[in-house]
Amino acid sequence: MSDVSSTHSAQSRRVREGTWRDAVLANGSVVSIALFFLVVCVIFSVTTDAFLTSPNLLNILRQSAPLLIVAAAMTFVITTGGIDLSVGSVLALVATLSATLLQLGLPWPAVILAMLALGALLGAVQGYFVAYEGIPAFIVTLAGLSVIRGVALLITGGYSIPIEPGSPFTVLGRAWFLGVPAPALIALAILAIAYIAFNETPFGRYVTGIGANAEAVRRAGVNTRLTTLFVYVISAAAAALAGIIIAARLGSGSSNAGQGFELEVIAAVVLGGTSLFGGRGTIIGTVLGALTVAVIGNGLILAHLSPFLTPIVTGTIILVAIWLNFRLFRGAVRSR
Amino acid sequence: MSSGETYRVRMSGISKRYNAIQTLDDVSLVLKPGEVLGLVGDNGAGKSTLSKVLSGAVVPDAGTIEIDGMPVTFNSPADSRAARVEMVYQDLSLCDTVDVAGNLFLGREPRRRIAGISFLDKKRMHEQTRQMLDRLGIVIADTRLKVENLSGGQRQSIAIGRAASFEPSVLIMDEPTAALAVAEVEAVLDLIRAVSARGVSVILITHRLQDLFLVCDRIQVMYEGRNVAERLIGETNIEDVVNLIVGRKFSARSATSAYRDGAPA
Repeated sequence: MSDVSSTHSAQSRRVREGTWRDAVLANGSVVSIALFFLVVCVIFSVTTDAFLTSPNLLNILRQSAPLLIVAAAMTFVITTGGIDLSVGSVLALVATLSATLLQLGLPWPAVILAMLALGALLGAVQGYFVAYEGIPAFIVTLAGLSVIRGVALLITGGYSIPIEPGSPFTVLGRAWFLGVPAPALIALAILAIAYIAFNETPFGRYVTGIGANAEAVRRAGVNTRLTTLFVYVISAAAAALAGIIIAARLGSGSSNAGQGFELEVIAAVVLGGTSLFGGRGTIIGTVLGALTVAVIGNGLILAHLSPFLTPIVTGTIILVAIWLNFRLFRGAVRSR
Repeated sequence: MSSGETYRVRMSGISKRYNAIQTLDDVSLVLKPGEVLGLVGDNGAGKSTLSKVLSGAVVPDAGTIEIDGMPVTFNSPADSRAARVEMVYQDLSLCDTVDVAGNLFLGREPRRRIAGISFLDKKRMHEQTRQMLDRLGIVIADTRLKVENLSGGQRQSIAIGRAASFEPSVLIMDEPTAALAVAEVEAVLDLIRAVSARGVSVILITHRLQDLFLVCDRIQVMYEGRNVAERLIGETNIEDVVNLIVGRKFSARSATSAYRDGAPA
């Protein structure tokens, strides 16, 4: 009998050791992107005088607000095992349409509501094809990327449409409250909501579950199709919000806005440790990933280096960071 | 007999044909409250199909099912769950990247409402998980561990614990001890005993015959879609069961005693 109890205690001791190590490994992706972020910040603080000043830091926040907002939403999509390639096109369509509607004399609150509703609708249509018709998200949203950008080009004929500088609409992109730019405040609010929704609600739990084992979640009685459809509604609505902010900041709506934006967003999410295979995602990692991408772009300009270096450096960091994560995770996942 | 004793489950005349193959041919099955029934047979003998009929995943062509004496019709897994029949699938249906508590409560998480929005009540979820695991004697150090970091036996235990937490009256397990280490098999068998001691009737499908003799009260043998034999565990042995499973084709020394029980193959 004493034999049995001693094996049991040995077993539980082993399990507890595992727990401690798992905790470190589970957060490995966030830890590694946090390190990259710090390293990048330190390098630019040392090599340039302007980087570590509050006007510059606030400027980074202001410029990266659309990226932060859409990346937070994209984290939900990618965690279900999906992808949304259409966010850049939705951004462009919303930017041009909001400028057009303002020119037609629509009141600005109505324009904002209409644009958010349009984004949600576009997301719902794409989500329907992904969730209910079973077409791979990559294909559905690739079609969306093409069609939605095409509509934006068709409306504007390729020209950008100006927004009257006095319009209260521009406040969203240009105003400062309490010493912080309005886009940054909006992004902060969205990130807080995303964090809570992802970690503290049943919806966030099902998003992770669907990415890990959709069949298990379905058998548990959850409406997995509706949940999947909804993540595309979220990402397109977030892209619409980003489009509104960009149009307001630039004071015009251009059908060429957000070219390649979807790749920047996906890069930020993946850098943050969210797995493209689904089931594994963190909002905090995404925030750090998006800020890292933003800081690299900003710092290279301040260092008087060619801005064309930005994609090269970003791409390299993505590969190295993911490689490190992959090595770490391979150690962490042992079953099956 | 039908008035004297009510069975928890009484399936009779169950038939199911898939195109040319008669998967189930007039099969019956009875199960008493708290009884552990071992369902054995070769691959393709129909044991999985029979269990799926009882769990609502397969609709039979003919036959009746009674639960506690009441006739029922199962057209979907939801129907059988409503009648308190739970099945642990061989693939376990766990979400690897979700923690232990999250898997146990998947789809019915404890919630608290703040300003009209429902949030996960994680504290209550972990407390209830701990109680549930302790009650069933499942050894998991931390309910916050992700399921992917558990051993095969622990994962199996979580899947069984999850099914047991629905307070079923019948629990069907398909190969729960396949591909487990020796010590883990023992833990899972203990768990089956613990569940049946709580009054749950258990149907255990397995190829590991030695497990049958450790937990089952009775064994039902199927062969090519038919019932061929039923044995109380005290009145049989492993050779007898092997001969019944292979259809007596290879029966040698033990066949002489077995012939008298009838049911020629």
